[in-house]
Amino acid sequence: MNPATPSATLAAGPAGEVAANGGHPLVALVGPPNSGKSTLFNNLTGLRQRVANYPGVTVERRSGVVESAAGPVEVIDLPGVHGLSPRSLDQMVTRNALLGELEGDRRPDAVVVVLDATRLRSHLMVAEPVLGLGLPTLVVLTMADELDRRDGALRSARLSGELGVEVALVNARDGATLQPVRRFLAALHTGGEEVRACPIVIAADHHGGHASGRPLPVIDIFAARRERARELGRSAGFRAPRPSRSTNRLDALALHRIWGPLIFAGVVTVVFQAIFAWAVPLMDGTEAAIAASGEYLAGVLPDGWFRSMLIDGVWAGVGSVMVFLPQILILFFFIAILEDSGYMARAAVIADRLMHRVGLQGRSFLPLLSAYACAVPAIMSARTVEDDRDRIATIFIAPFMTCSARLPVYALLIAAFVPAGPLLGPFLGRQAAVLIGLYGLGLVAALLTAALLKRTLLRGRALPFVMELPPYRWPSARSIGVRLLDRTKIFVRRAGKIILAVTVVLWVLTQFPRMPGGGAPEIGDSALGRIGQVVEPAIEPLGFDWRIGIGLVTSLAAREVIVGTLGTIYGVEAQDGEDLELRAALQRDLDFGAAVALLVFFVFALQCMSTVAVMRRETGGWRWPILQFGYMLALAYAGAWAANALL
Amino acid sequence: MKSTERSDTNRSGGARTEVPLRMLADVPLEEEVILVRIDVAGEDVEPLLERGIVPGCKLCPVRHAPAGGPTVYRVDGALVALRRETASCLCVRSALEAAGVLDSN
Repeated sequence: MNPATPSATLAAGPAGEVAANGGHPLVALVGPPNSGKSTLFNNLTGLRQRVANYPGVTVERRSGVVESAAGPVEVIDLPGVHGLSPRSLDQMVTRNALLGELEGDRRPDAVVVVLDATRLRSHLMVAEPVLGLGLPTLVVLTMADELDRRDGALRSARLSGELGVEVALVNARDGATLQPVRRFLAALHTGGEEVRACPIVIAADHHGGHASGRPLPVIDIFAARRERARELGRSAGFRAPRPSRSTNRLDALALHRIWGPLIFAGVVTVVFQAIFAWAVPLMDGTEAAIAASGEYLAGVLPDGWFRSMLIDGVWAGVGSVMVFLPQILILFFFIAILEDSGYMARAAVIADRLMHRVGLQGRSFLPLLSAYACAVPAIMSARTVEDDRDRIATIFIAPFMTCSARLPVYALLIAAFVPAGPLLGPFLGRQAAVLIGLYGLGLVAALLTAALLKRTLLRGRALPFVMELPPYRWPSARSIGVRLLDRTKIFVRRAGKIILAVTVVLWVLTQFPRMPGGGAPEIGDSALGRIGQVVEPAIEPLGFDWRIGIGLVTSLAAREVIVGTLGTIYGVEAQDGEDLELRAALQRDLDFGAAVALLVFFVFALQCMSTVAVMRRETGGWRWPILQFGYMLALAYAGAWAANALL
Repeated sequence: MKSTERSDTNRSGGARTEVPLRMLADVPLEEEVILVRIDVAGEDVEPLLERGIVPGCKLCPVRHAPAGGPTVYRVDGALVALRRETASCLCVRSALEAAGVLDSN
């Protein structure tokens, strides 16, 4: 890509390109993390947003349509980046999106570069390679209120004069200050004079530092950029704001020698408590709603294979996953608050010491915490881990964290095999202690695996750990709401695709071969039953029979499926008292050692096709997911065998 | 630029420069320093550079994280946490003395 031809791009004109594309003008939002880019995006697009994945990569593509005065404009929110070098997945996607080299996306007609006005000088360094692309550009400087409050100063008109493009000083949360942005979007339709590319042709150092074939040391490129950014700041009358007093005071607490770790532990406890205690009524409600709607449908539909498939297959299967939605939303609610308030970065700094000991880093903390709800979003959020080796190690160990899909299995087996009763007075019951033990076992396996990986396959020089600490801010309800809505859409889509397919296949396997009279076969004679009998010899040393075998085979798709499968196998109807009957059946078929073996198996095994699929996309091949699956299966088998043999 | 020349002289004749050089990890809290040189190999410097930690920038340690964790530095109006091992690769000089040198030029 040659950025030295801004006028050529301009000559084609945004209007011309729009006509050629037959769609709305496409505008990309680019900027560093914590620059207020997503707040601006949410404020511009409101709820008219679409979240999808870029084909081939799991980076989310967030776009929305803004109704400008002159017509609709499609705005796309690119991942927050510090530069355009293809060092991380986010930077690569952003760079390719801006160059129009991303599969399924055209080149944007214009860019909006979002920078934090309080950090003008370092953020202008990020903006430079984007300006150098020669696309029509609007520079939006956010945090105008913050700059003002902390006695900073900036003349945006002068900066505009220096850069040769429009510059707007805004407060991304305040829609009233966004008029210049809306004017710019409208001008894409009318061809107004606001739509200009930066006329200063900057050295083509935006990806890798190769100017005219001669590679420049990267430090020199940045030193030159920094000098230009300082020069621009001087011309624009930029006065840096004084450090934020409130942030300083809060940091004195959050990073305090004693209070810091205590606050950290308190935050983690509250998040866990919320996921596992406060979510329960909501999950019960969801479950009841699914059951009620299923019963209603069963009453309305005529008897036959379709009703059986819809109710016993789809409703039961998809429903068993939808039950986790409240839990996942609560987790993301807390993550959104922690991130938007600025505390998450402090938590990462506190966690860094511990993470460093097993060869990881503070940034791995957020993905690992998320993995307690679900490994899929956790693996995606590991993109914030810049060091590729650390990122792979984080992804690799995330499925060891006890995700919420394991909970129904744990709950069922603990209720069946661990007698209720106090262990430490009123504080800790025996069943709760076993649950905590299972969580601990997963965590220990994760940390040991990370340490092992970083000493073997992922050994290497560590990248410098740099963690930016954004100023503390009140999270906005709007931004949190939008994020939760995003999560819901993504989760429902996943449940709708994978789980739906699996449950339908399972249902079909229980229906064939047909009985001589045409009815469904006994479960032991069905295709599914035969699969169970085939795997039985392999799992016999663990103390499992063919019924558990079927459960294990089906739970390869998703862990929680085993509960529904066992329910079907034991011939219990999905009605009240199901748990009790299932429990009794398990007590009959499993001895204590086998029950512990089954629990241990679930702690270690990677029974989740969505995780495997996300893993493949995030690591760019089958190597890591296959290794991960094999490693976790071996650990699960060995652990279960040991448990069964010893107990 | 001036800063580049200085860092070059420093690179060739470390001990004989007029301004004493130190590693960032050894700078006490609240003392402002200027970054002279980054002793990190190849492309690995990019995460630092992209966050404004570029030779010539001002750095000021403001807080140590608990239990020997990273230290928080003020860089160009932002807060950035660095591990000790990273801060030990950043060669700095006092901002006060540097100002004196610039004045005499």
